Amino acid sequence: MVMKRPEIPRKMCPVIFLLDTSGSMDGAPLGAVNRAIENVLPELISMNNDNPDNEIKVAVMTFDYDAKWIVGETELLSPDDVSKSWRDLKATGYTSMGAAFRALNDKLSVSHGFMQRASGSVAPVLFLLSDGEPTDDYKAGLQILQQNNWYKIAVRVAVGYGEANYDILREFTGNEGTVLHTNDTDELKNTIRFVAVTSSRVASQGSSVSPDDPNANPDDNTQTVANALQNQGGNLNAKLDPEDDF
Amino acid sequence: MANFFRLTKNQHVELADGRTVTVTDKLGEGGQGIVYRVRFDTCEERALKWFFIGYLKDPQKFYSRLQKNIDDGAPSDAFLWPEQLTKYVAGEPFGYVMKLYPQGYESFAKFLLAKVQPQSNAAWVNAALNIVDAFKSLHNKGYNYQDLNDGNFSINPTNGKVLICDNDNVVPYGEESGILGKARYMAPEVVRGDKKPDTHTDEFSLAVVLFMLFVGYHPLEGKRTNFPVLTTKYEKRIYGENPLFIFDEQDKSNAPHETLHKYAPAMWNNLPSFVRKTFQRAFSQESLLEGRNRPLGQDWFNVLVRLKSSIVRCPFCGEEIFLESDAPTTCYNCKRSIKAAGYLKFKSRASQEVTAPIFRDAVLYDYHMDSSSKDFLTAAAVVLEKPGKFGLKNNSRSKWIVTTPDGRTFTRQPGETQVLVADCKIDFGNGSSAQVIVNN
Ligand SMILES: Nc1ncnc2c1ncn2[C@@H]1O[C@H](COP(=O)(O)OP(=O)(O)OP(=O)(O)O)[C@@H](O)[C@H]1O
Ligand SMILES: [Zn+2]
Repeated sequence: MVMKRPEIPRKMCPVIFLLDTSGSMDGAPLGAVNRAIENVLPELISMNNDNPDNEIKVAVMTFDYDAKWIVGETELLSPDDVSKSWRDLKATGYTSMGAAFRALNDKLSVSHGFMQRASGSVAPVLFLLSDGEPTDDYKAGLQILQQNNWYKIAVRVAVGYGEANYDILREFTGNEGTVLHTNDTDELKNTIRFVAVTSSRVASQGSSVSPDDPNANPDDNTQTVANALQNQGGNLNAKLDPEDDF
Repeated sequence: MANFFRLTKNQHVELADGRTVTVTDKLGEGGQGIVYRVRFDTCEERALKWFFIGYLKDPQKFYSRLQKNIDDGAPSDAFLWPEQLTKYVAGEPFGYVMKLYPQGYESFAKFLLAKVQPQSNAAWVNAALNIVDAFKSLHNKGYNYQDLNDGNFSINPTNGKVLICDNDNVVPYGEESGILGKARYMAPEVVRGDKKPDTHTDEFSLAVVLFMLFVGYHPLEGKRTNFPVLTTKYEKRIYGENPLFIFDEQDKSNAPHETLHKYAPAMWNNLPSFVRKTFQRAFSQESLLEGRNRPLGQDWFNVLVRLKSSIVRCPFCGEEIFLESDAPTTCYNCKRSIKAAGYLKFKSRASQEVTAPIFRDAVLYDYHMDSSSKDFLTAAAVVLEKPGKFGLKNNSRSKWIVTTPDGRTFTRQPGETQVLVADCKIDFGNGSSAQVIVNN
């Protein structure tokens, strides 16, 4: 026998989904969201298996009549645990986006939220999905959120579907390069997956690629992901044969 | 023609030499590209690295540099080197084919995550020696790596063979790959922006990797670097502007954190003093802040061979330990103290002391038999123990000349065993000799 090696402590890379489950999402769109999340989780698990620097942990909030944490209410969970307990989301009600932003702000805190981790964290991924106009005062919620330091350094990405208000999504991300939109349910699944996987990879790996612009703010993680979505994307409009879709 | 970033199954890709490969699967994805499994018409399989060319400042230059690296050939067997580029079409993505990862290797990341454990101390030291060796051959060829980190190499846990992957950031000395690297593995002067990566900064990255290999934690991450969030500002501070070794002799303010780095002291103390000293030199303030007096590859090489010949089993519990030559060693497992009766003292190599404890089953290698040998794998002698005496068995191919303190000489042929007595000297031939030093 030899001395057993310890496991190196990792920083947490929080990946937080804010998902619009208002009534208009019912049917095919929500089906696409459910399938997309199911597909994203194994990718996050495999990223974790290979990353000695950071560990992805997940939280999922839905918003309709109100904002509700489906996963991670008290503590962010490993994608493995999420995958084991995942149940399909149901759609009903309004689009309480302002409430969602407020609820997120409450949790983005070390002292009273879910950002506590002994070994520290890296910038979180904030993923917003919506298909329509907010039915509450989104602006007031967003203004509070925008003061949050975690929000400021976060990788902010958004996927809009159908009637989604592009300007609001853009306001949330603060970067047009990380807002993607689609009107097609098949494409919705691929778009969610592409955006969620790419942003999680960039956030969890830290970038070993030098920025094109040496004067760029290195902590503008949203811009880093915008570059990645542009450089690593392509073919989102093609109807991919599931057989071909690795 | 579509500007395709991603390839799909069954897609054909033309290589620079006119042959085509067919995409059969996706193997993985990194920050710089996607790696696919591909097949030639002959059914021979390869991996195809396909770049996200949007990240490349000058794709054509990058392509030419890869072509030159291919033409020059791999620095050693340890490198999974590019074999053949795909055809270049201006403005379109390209890639190169290489061999698939062979069986039996595990990524260094998996060892750090304790998902895989080395099977023996010898395998583990071999891994360290193989990494040092690989970098020496790379530097000898005039290249530097620039982005050495935990994602770039794999280790065979059984024998310590090493595979250096992701060789597209390798550039000739003096050139820049355009890759910044992971701050955690970069030399402080590069993190601070004072210097561009070169062979000298590669040597620093090597020391970080060796430390993580043996201690399991990062050398600069201790109790004072535990910030709630890692932003560029803190990254610069920890790895560049204000770096402090967790086992710094003078300043203990960045010692391992009690819970986060719980096992660091035990892992550290399991190493013999000469290895700890070398790490202290590699991560001294002088090295961290001024880039001076760092151990070089050849220093590490000699230190590591010495470490290899210090591997014995604890006589009380049977665990593998590293035994000091001239001081008591505490077994990490049963906590009992073990001391060698004495040691063999060789001529120093590249200013590094060379010793081996005289203890049952301690092994000498071809390295010890020949002052020019770099062979740390071929066992050439073993220490035997019988009640009241130790012997050194000649398993080499040369005869040894033994001289006693009173001036008598003997010859020991291969297969024979020499009784070890105080102060006798063994000449192994080929410029190498050692003296028996008794402890106390
Ligand atoms: N020769 C190969 N055989 C099999 N799998 C491979 C091979 N090369 C790479 N891979 C797989 O592809 C993944 C990505 O490869 P690689 O790390 O080279 O990409 P990269 O873009 O350079 O990553 P990084 O972000 O670390 O720079 C690896 O983690 C590995 O799983
Ligand atoms: Zn013991």
